[in-house]
Amino acid sequence: MVDNGLALLPSDDRAWRLEAYLARGGYDAARKAVTTMTPEAVVCEIRDAVLRGRGGAGFPAGVKWGFVPRGLAGPKYLCVNADEGEPGTFKDRHVLCCAPHQLLEGMVIAAYGVGIGSAYIYVRGEYALIADRLRAAIGEARSAGYLGPDIFGSDFGLEVTVHPGAGAYICGEETALLESLEGRRGQPRVKPPFPATVGLFRSPTVINNVETLASVPQILARGAEWFRGRGLPQDGGTRLFGVSGAVRHPGVYELPVGTSLRTIVEISAGGPPEGRSIKAVVPGGLSAPVLRPEELDVAMDFDALAKAGSMLGSAGIIVVSDETPILDVLLVTARFYAHESCGKCTPCRIGTSWILKVVERLKRLGGGPDDLDLIVRLAGGISGRTLCPLGDGAALPIRALVSKFRGELEQAVTR
Amino acid sequence: MNGAKPVALTIDGRKVVADEGTNILEAAAMAGVDIPHFCYHPGLQVEGSCRMCLVEIEGLPKLELSCSTPVREGQIVRTASDRVRQARRDVLEFLLAEHPLDCPICDKAGECRLQDYYDLHGGFPGRMSEPRRRRAKKVPIGRGLILDRERCILCTRCVRFLRQVTGTGELGVFERGLGTEIGICEEAPVANGYSGNLVDICPVGAITAEDFRFKTRAWFLDRKPSVCPHCSRGCAVVVESVKGYPLSKGERRVYRITAGEAPAVNGFWICDLGRDGRHEIDEGRQTRILKGGEPAAGLFWPQAVAEIASMIRSLPGPDRDGRITVVLNSRLTCEELALAKALFATGLGLDRISFADPRPGPSDDLLLTAERAPNGRGVLEAGFAPRLPLLHELATSKVALIFGTGLAAHFPEEAVAGALAEIPFKVLFEAHAMPYDRLADLVIPVAVPAEKSGTYVNIDGLRQSFGRAVEPGPGIVPEGQILIALARRLGCDPGGSDGR
Repeated sequence: MVDNGLALLPSDDRAWRLEAYLARGGYDAARKAVTTMTPEAVVCEIRDAVLRGRGGAGFPAGVKWGFVPRGLAGPKYLCVNADEGEPGTFKDRHVLCCAPHQLLEGMVIAAYGVGIGSAYIYVRGEYALIADRLRAAIGEARSAGYLGPDIFGSDFGLEVTVHPGAGAYICGEETALLESLEGRRGQPRVKPPFPATVGLFRSPTVINNVETLASVPQILARGAEWFRGRGLPQDGGTRLFGVSGAVRHPGVYELPVGTSLRTIVEISAGGPPEGRSIKAVVPGGLSAPVLRPEELDVAMDFDALAKAGSMLGSAGIIVVSDETPILDVLLVTARFYAHESCGKCTPCRIGTSWILKVVERLKRLGGGPDDLDLIVRLAGGISGRTLCPLGDGAALPIRALVSKFRGELEQAVTR
Repeated sequence: MNGAKPVALTIDGRKVVADEGTNILEAAAMAGVDIPHFCYHPGLQVEGSCRMCLVEIEGLPKLELSCSTPVREGQIVRTASDRVRQARRDVLEFLLAEHPLDCPICDKAGECRLQDYYDLHGGFPGRMSEPRRRRAKKVPIGRGLILDRERCILCTRCVRFLRQVTGTGELGVFERGLGTEIGICEEAPVANGYSGNLVDICPVGAITAEDFRFKTRAWFLDRKPSVCPHCSRGCAVVVESVKGYPLSKGERRVYRITAGEAPAVNGFWICDLGRDGRHEIDEGRQTRILKGGEPAAGLFWPQAVAEIASMIRSLPGPDRDGRITVVLNSRLTCEELALAKALFATGLGLDRISFADPRPGPSDDLLLTAERAPNGRGVLEAGFAPRLPLLHELATSKVALIFGTGLAAHFPEEAVAGALAEIPFKVLFEAHAMPYDRLADLVIPVAVPAEKSGTYVNIDGLRQSFGRAVEPGPGIVPEGQILIALARRLGCDPGGSDGR
């Protein structure tokens, strides 16, 4: 394992505290940015680091920050997407539990770079402990002058508000998150306009994932080149890979972007338990199309996985063992998306439920190849036809499960 | 015209020029290309959720929303490629999979977008073999509106209308996924004066009006434009009547009034007051000539006019004024007002010309004006200085010609009756029967505005001409026709049109 760039510590009772964070050099990067750098230089540094969004879309954070118009009157906002809802993903939880100040420091730097005075952390409703911890960390940082007005004696200030969600997967989609933050029903907006110009409360807004912002301090501390060198030229840094399912050591592993999936699953996480073998691996959260065991020698970066027909997404790796029927995987997958479709776009609202009805029938009564064809066709009717990526996120993994495990599924449904 | 930059693009091989900022859907419509859509409505903010209007734009990998994508110079749009057709079929198949297909008993049948689009863009056999979710089919949501959640396709036009147009926000979207449904917020039903628009804008039969439910079929209706006479806004309306009137007793003639489109006046909406105007077209009408309070069989209006003319002639010319009183109203068209001016003021030299209109009512910020008559501006334009009649003055007349029923709005019934009783010869020209009719020497039934053609000048000074939307019943004539006949009888030909 490489040295711990994200400074993730075991989550003992004190490690998350300001004192412990300061002992690890915390807030030095923010001080450096605010007191010695121009905002433009900060954005430039992040752009040069090729820090790609850790939430799932992989959009370069520095480029995103650069889209926010400068010199406009009126407020701008920073929203932290801590609505970690993608099944198989639990890495932001780890950051929030162990290093909330690292997130806050990243937020200070981002806000300074873009010229933002107020920020929201949208934290998923299920993370009640984390919301409390975040509020406590904000209190500590504010008392110490790292948040609030006149940070580091400059005229730059930042206020941070924690906003818990109410348990909807869709609110992790950035525009639905904004709607929810504004007090409305969490549903995606039509884009354009993009949040960088018309976001929270109709104002320019930066929305970044927790891990993305938590990666920012080290870039400022050690430089863009150092960061890029830890990953790939087109996809810099290390990432937190959450491994769950049929492995000996499930957990969060910080490894360079581009590490092979097989290494993560078989070396870091220890491979499948005794006597079991791997049947399938979901590489980047449930929405990422599944890979077969022979496809695991793929580099875990956005471009390589896209080329392999899947996606890096949130880097939540789900390992399925040989004893798990793919029909069951298909069922829980279909059930999740039918349950979480927000209901706005016709194809996703009805398509995900229709697929679930078919899979439930297959599970209960069996069926035939026609039913599998129908599932693929219905998924095709959803994919690329919805406002937000949830439509694709539902259709692609379902289509991949059916096409990559067709033999097993046909056998399972034929009675 | 509006200073917007013209943008040239190609839609299905046709060169189209549209103003900058126009969306592709509207630009295509201008070029005669109809892109199917459910959630898009030009009077509401873009929702982008039905996914029916997806089109192919050269250079873009995915299909794009034509309702939200603005036109760009040199853009090449395809609305009928295989990919687009497939996407439309898929959306229709999804919608129909959860649709009850109760068209035979659905009031929207015949004017339903889902039905029409399946006809145009669908045509596939049903492939949904799973059970459809059952939902409430008769949810009262206020103001006589009924919501059928099985038919609802969740376009949210209703929700957006109530948030963006009336600002009342009574409806909301509840639950999620397949469980998503429209409902009233906090047990507070729809309660605003524009509720009927929800029926107009519902693309399917999800919101229907009790007043129209199960009464007729859309294809039996004849739709004719008119101008609403119930306030001074002059909204465009569509009067929808059954063909082949008169029908046997008890059946309706006008089944509903819906909103017409007039960008500079009412946009796409009308108020419920105007919509409820259907009642006055069919209900409480004066249908026969009354003489001395009794139906005068065999007396037709030209003879009645002749009687009036001879009565007027019997009064000596120089001091006719003071002996003849005329009460007009602001529902008369500009053409009729011009005839009245020429006949009564210029021709007969009368001075006692007054106006009796409905009393003003509350106005709102949207369309409804306080004035409850359509042509107050027209009255001024015609050169009248309108004033209310004085009953004691009216009572001293030898002859009174009273147009309309506005007196009843300003004076107690007994007072009107008392004044009428004093007048030796009084004639009422009425579209609707009044309690004091029996006191009149003659009551001549006249047309309501929907039965006329003519011109109204609205509160903003806009002149709007309209044609006859429904045929008047037998023996019922517009006031203009009576005024012309009367003028001819009296030898002062005013010319002009009679509003037929």
